Amino acid sequence: MSAPPALRWRKLGLIFDPDEHRLPADCIGWAQSPQPVVFEDFVRIFFSTRSLDAGAPGKFVSRVAYVDVAKDLSQVIGVSQRPVIEPGSLGTFDEHGIFPMQVIRNEGALWGYTCGWSRRVSVSVETAIGLAVSHDGGVSFERVGAGPILAASPQEPFLVGDGHVRKIGDTFHMWYIFGTTWRRYAADQEPDRTYKIGHATSPDGICWTKDEGRQIVADTLGPDESQALPSVIEVDGRHHMFFCYRHSSDFRTNPDRGYRLGHAWSDDLVTWTRDDSCAPGPTAGDWDSDMLAYPSVFECDGQTYLLYNGNAFGRRGFGAAVLLC
Amino acid sequence: MHRWRKLGLVFNPLDHPGRPWLDGFAQAPSTVLLDDRIRVYFSCRPPADADGSYVSYSAWVDLDRADPTRVLKVADEPVLDLGETGTFDEFGTYPFSVVRDGDLYRGYYAGWTRCESVPFNTAIGMATSRDGARFERYGRGPIIGYTPDEPFVMSGPKIRRFDGTWYLFYIAGRLWKVVEGRPEPVYKIRMATSADGICWTKLGRDLIESRVEPDEAQASPDVFFHNGRYHMFFCYRYSSHYRGREFGYRIGYAHSTDLVRWTRDDGLAGIDISVQGWDAEMISYPHVFQTDGRIFMAYLGNEVGRHGFGLAELEGELT
Repeated sequence: MSAPPALRWRKLGLIFDPDEHRLPADCIGWAQSPQPVVFEDFVRIFFSTRSLDAGAPGKFVSRVAYVDVAKDLSQVIGVSQRPVIEPGSLGTFDEHGIFPMQVIRNEGALWGYTCGWSRRVSVSVETAIGLAVSHDGGVSFERVGAGPILAASPQEPFLVGDGHVRKIGDTFHMWYIFGTTWRRYAADQEPDRTYKIGHATSPDGICWTKDEGRQIVADTLGPDESQALPSVIEVDGRHHMFFCYRHSSDFRTNPDRGYRLGHAWSDDLVTWTRDDSCAPGPTAGDWDSDMLAYPSVFECDGQTYLLYNGNAFGRRGFGAAVLLC
Repeated sequence: MHRWRKLGLVFNPLDHPGRPWLDGFAQAPSTVLLDDRIRVYFSCRPPADADGSYVSYSAWVDLDRADPTRVLKVADEPVLDLGETGTFDEFGTYPFSVVRDGDLYRGYYAGWTRCESVPFNTAIGMATSRDGARFERYGRGPIIGYTPDEPFVMSGPKIRRFDGTWYLFYIAGRLWKVVEGRPEPVYKIRMATSADGICWTKLGRDLIESRVEPDEAQASPDVFFHNGRYHMFFCYRYSSHYRGREFGYRIGYAHSTDLVRWTRDDGLAGIDISVQGWDAEMISYPHVFQTDGRIFMAYLGNEVGRHGFGLAELEGELT
């Protein structure tokens, strides 16, 4: 194997600012983890936005909505009038929100892989991956069941989430994250989590076999690196994964420890070689000066695009970059 | 109808002081036969914390094989510590069911975590032991977790091996039903099979039809092979106001020849609440075992085992 030439990107800037649009269901802001599906005349980009939780003052519930944009991502066409999926019922894994939801085309429908959130007492949250199906182009999704399709297991004890699915040949591949530790970094702080990227395969997209407990992408920040939102695309016969990574503590407001975009490549989908130089970095003074997070890479009309969030985890929406050939 | 002769309360945790983790309760008894004794695993609790919340541990008591109403020894420490922060068994390991596998003891247990909208969630873990006294986790996460049609409250494991196949009978939550502002769990009896006790395939349906109401909660699916068929004793309760005599736990019964199709006939259970005493309000969490030609049932009484467990002995046949 030889190292590939570095991928180079041209930034297109912020393409959707939620504060400039009316959001559905009393959502008050944020447009996190953009997830595209290409249609004939537009690109439908699902994202997670937030409403206040009436039952838990000061807390949010993540809701999935979408925005339709022109195929060159140059303009917004419209925003969904309501969230595409209802919150989970009492006690279920996705009761307190879905963030993110990746959508693929499968069997003539749209399949949404949800990352469901439910709140805990000793730690803030637990997550698992669910499946919901849409037969109306993504306007509404129905769950295949009240429980998840991928969740905690012996060597992946918590925080299974961020599923990203691609069908390659006859096999469905899912890249996702699993938690490794909840640690209190200072006595007066709540526990912070660390998670890593894992891999599972499936013949049908529903029933999955994990590569149990194996972290597939090496750390660059050491064992306390958290890795999230893997997104995989094939470019010139080689698989490229984009994800985001950060320190596991003091990452929310300290720009030196917050999310950046990472990258790894593979020829066999088993061994991944990390090379973050292939991912865009921050631009001083711009909307992504302090943070880049939640990437999603896709092709449209012969171009390869990277959607991502900027400062403050997507409080002001998401932008894009286009791959230079 | 089967006939069980009650032998009374056999193990009361209050009779064994000096163990801070054993302040009360001896729940969900399950046995392993040793040379001269019957080891009964049970689950117990230290005092509640300032918020009134409990954690639970599992431990064991050895009973005399010749006279199972006689206690020989009580464990000096729980079989397992609580799980680390954020894991599925951080706040409890209850119940605990053990099977011998060559030189190894394998324990299957429900781990407890605490949630915000509902009081708890559970999933099923596995731990192993060389001496049957102290166990080590197989992993930090559960071995039977949540799936689309078993979304929460995976609990009550009972491990069995029949004809080389591993069977895990357990319960899966169906609904959190809000009763007078309080979420109450409804759960049903399910089953999974395995070739190695580690990698499990869920059957994916309820084994026992509901009888007293659609939201009947079922627990403690205890399967015992005898006289050419499988017998399941279990317990069931109403979904509301079940903490008292009228709607609380009772012991039910079903039989099967293939472990998949079960015929429920609670009228054959042959054991009910007493007129007075430690099991006059409710009876629950049956476990049937055989030793030296005698068949016993360990079970819980009032307040689901707060005062310990008792024994009954079968008179006549289990048919």
